[in-house]
Amino acid sequence: MTISGERRAWGWVAHLRGGGTTPWAAWHGEGTREGVYLPGAQQLELLRRLHLAAQRHGGRPSARLVERVVEASAPGRGTPDLELVGATDESPFGPRPVDPADLPDAELTRVATSLLAEDLVAAGARRPPEAPPLIRPWRTRYRLVGDPWLADPAREGMVARGRPPGGRGSVVVVVGRDVATMVADAWTSRCFDEGSLPWREWLDPFAAGHRVPPRVDLERAAATWARQVGQARVRVVLDPSALPRLVGVRRALPQPPVLAADAVDLARQVATVLGLLVLPEQRADLLRHTLLPRLLDAPGPPLRLPAEHAAWATQRAVRMRDRMLRAGYAVHGDPDLLVPRPEAVAPAGASGPTDAGVLALAARLLLDETKEAPR
Amino acid sequence: MTRRLLLHVGTPKTGTSYLQDVLHRNRRTLAAAGISYPADRFDAHFLAALDLMRLPWGGLETEAIGAWDRLAEQVRDHHGTSIISHEIFAAASRSQVGRALRDLGHGEGTEVHVVLSVRDLVRQIPAEWQENVKHRSSISYARFLRQVQDPSREGRIASWFWSVQEIPDILNRWGHDLPPEHVHLVTVPPPGGAPEVLWQRFSETFGLDDLDLDLEAERVNPSLGVPETALIRRINASANRQLPPADYRPLVRELLAHQTLSRRVGSPRLGLPPEVHPWVRDLEDSWVAEIRERGYDVVGDLADLEGAPAVGAWADPDQPSEKQVASAAVDAIKALLLENGRLQQEAGRLRGDLDAAHRDLERSYLRPTYRLREKAVRRLQTSRLGRGALRAYRVGRGRSSRSA
Repeated sequence: MTISGERRAWGWVAHLRGGGTTPWAAWHGEGTREGVYLPGAQQLELLRRLHLAAQRHGGRPSARLVERVVEASAPGRGTPDLELVGATDESPFGPRPVDPADLPDAELTRVATSLLAEDLVAAGARRPPEAPPLIRPWRTRYRLVGDPWLADPAREGMVARGRPPGGRGSVVVVVGRDVATMVADAWTSRCFDEGSLPWREWLDPFAAGHRVPPRVDLERAAATWARQVGQARVRVVLDPSALPRLVGVRRALPQPPVLAADAVDLARQVATVLGLLVLPEQRADLLRHTLLPRLLDAPGPPLRLPAEHAAWATQRAVRMRDRMLRAGYAVHGDPDLLVPRPEAVAPAGASGPTDAGVLALAARLLLDETKEAPR
Repeated sequence: MTRRLLLHVGTPKTGTSYLQDVLHRNRRTLAAAGISYPADRFDAHFLAALDLMRLPWGGLETEAIGAWDRLAEQVRDHHGTSIISHEIFAAASRSQVGRALRDLGHGEGTEVHVVLSVRDLVRQIPAEWQENVKHRSSISYARFLRQVQDPSREGRIASWFWSVQEIPDILNRWGHDLPPEHVHLVTVPPPGGAPEVLWQRFSETFGLDDLDLDLEAERVNPSLGVPETALIRRINASANRQLPPADYRPLVRELLAHQTLSRRVGSPRLGLPPEVHPWVRDLEDSWVAEIRERGYDVVGDLADLEGAPAVGAWADPDQPSEKQVASAAVDAIKALLLENGRLQQEAGRLRGDLDAAHRDLERSYLRPTYRLREKAVRRLQTSRLGRGALRAYRVGRGRSSRSA
């Protein structure tokens, strides 16, 4: 490591620790060694971006957050900690040093997800207080299956009203909506449970294989339950207004939150790290009850099916509709509601999360947790 | 007593599974000699490494929660020599190494020694591709080689490969805060040598020479030949989406790869394509020169890191002999059939046990006292007064259960 390069690097570290935002390439100051090793380029660039994001709102990251970022490590497999170009002698070994400004946003997000996961564990699950509801003995016996993003909040709402699912003679309600939205729902639900592959890596094989994700296949769900309880007790619900009556309540049931695609992808990435910090059940709790409420106002378009998969979704929807009608299930709502609406499909070239959006959101969440007044 | 830690951080495919197996099985003997191998299960240090590096590993990570802190605490609590060994520690980043050494007491009285077992790249490159295949990958050998040779090292394959195989860089990360005499390189002897030489080198490095250890191997990570690896790769491409990791590990990795296909030793062995040899040899030479300059403690011979030249015909695993793959597939099918038969017998035995338990349960239900009590409860439940009496009885008995 050259003396001038090393001093310059330590000077930049001190500059960033003090709230500076000068990019590495434009930095010419010097400093003294303040640690055993120079922090990685990813960590330092993330810190710089956090300062920039905080400045836009007149704040700055807390001293604790600054140190956590400097000492953080990117989780999982991927690019290792990189050195700053010009800070070290050109070594023939190890990954090439980089100008941190050239790092992809996704690399900075990797570091941020580790910190966000720690924050979630520290915050704990913020489930609504569970006063055990009085179980209504006269309740309608039901089971809610189908699109998990629709069924889960409705089921939670029913439980909160003293109407848990199950019981002798339950009617099985298979809830759904248009296939394009259900595909996005299925990925979203996975992201808030156990994490998933990235959107397109998860989606494209289904489209290429001319099949839909299992949780989207309403006809298969209906057939499975029909075999168990008889077809007469299976209802397919595509009209959300029909659901309360079928499960024996009058008031409307909770609707699923609409999240920006970037928010869902951030949850996916945080879920992966959380898997190393807590058990699966706690992970889902933290994601759904602690992280999700903080993502509700995240900017950006919702997740939508890419335009190139619209024909696939329409084809599968038509097939699903025809098979359900042929089988004779009781369908509440127009069966054509399964066919994707134009607004459920993204315009060409614009679908799914963006690396920049996910990073901006991660920065916002980190700063929210530790916001400090400007000094 | 001084705390001393021997931290074996890699590299993969250098006899590490055998070493860890011996250490785990002999931990009582080691403890009697004042050496702690703090592992309640054979993969305890693997789980600790996953935890330290926050590394997902096909669902195993749920077992790793808190494993690093537990391991570090055991090392700090032991006044004597401790040994930690797992090859994926090689991939730790500088910040993770910093945390690891701090947690283990470096700078606070613990004398830390880093041990790195190393083998020539000529053998390591095909071995790493095979490890990828045994971990569900369906990447072709040619594509793997292209990624590994790409100077940008972008992508998961290349970044992982170099993070666990580039010896000077691993030693930069793990050894930068240690004196060179506390960094020990154990070289794997060239092929064809006596198999006990590697163990002797490990034994010398870890100070085990005077101990009477059981060296019978139970867990090893055996290698596969060209058609066998090609077969596993095809199985991955076909079954990956349907076969969850929890099933893949016992069925494909253990049953097929380790227990069945690794026994086919007559098939062509994996090797480097001849055109890649010069590039690899240049790399090896530069590594040897660098290591020699740094003055580490070398156990063995640095010349072991210079791989053997290409000899004979090279067998391409991307275009294997279909006859050999078919033969391997027959062995695989046979193994799966035998395993299926064993499981069916086991299921039949368990079904028999369950039926016997049901019969015993029914017999106990038929006892006159049980029938009398059942009849009384049924009658009481038909009237409000009776239900009240039952409730009072249950409260008095101190049970909330509604069972009779």
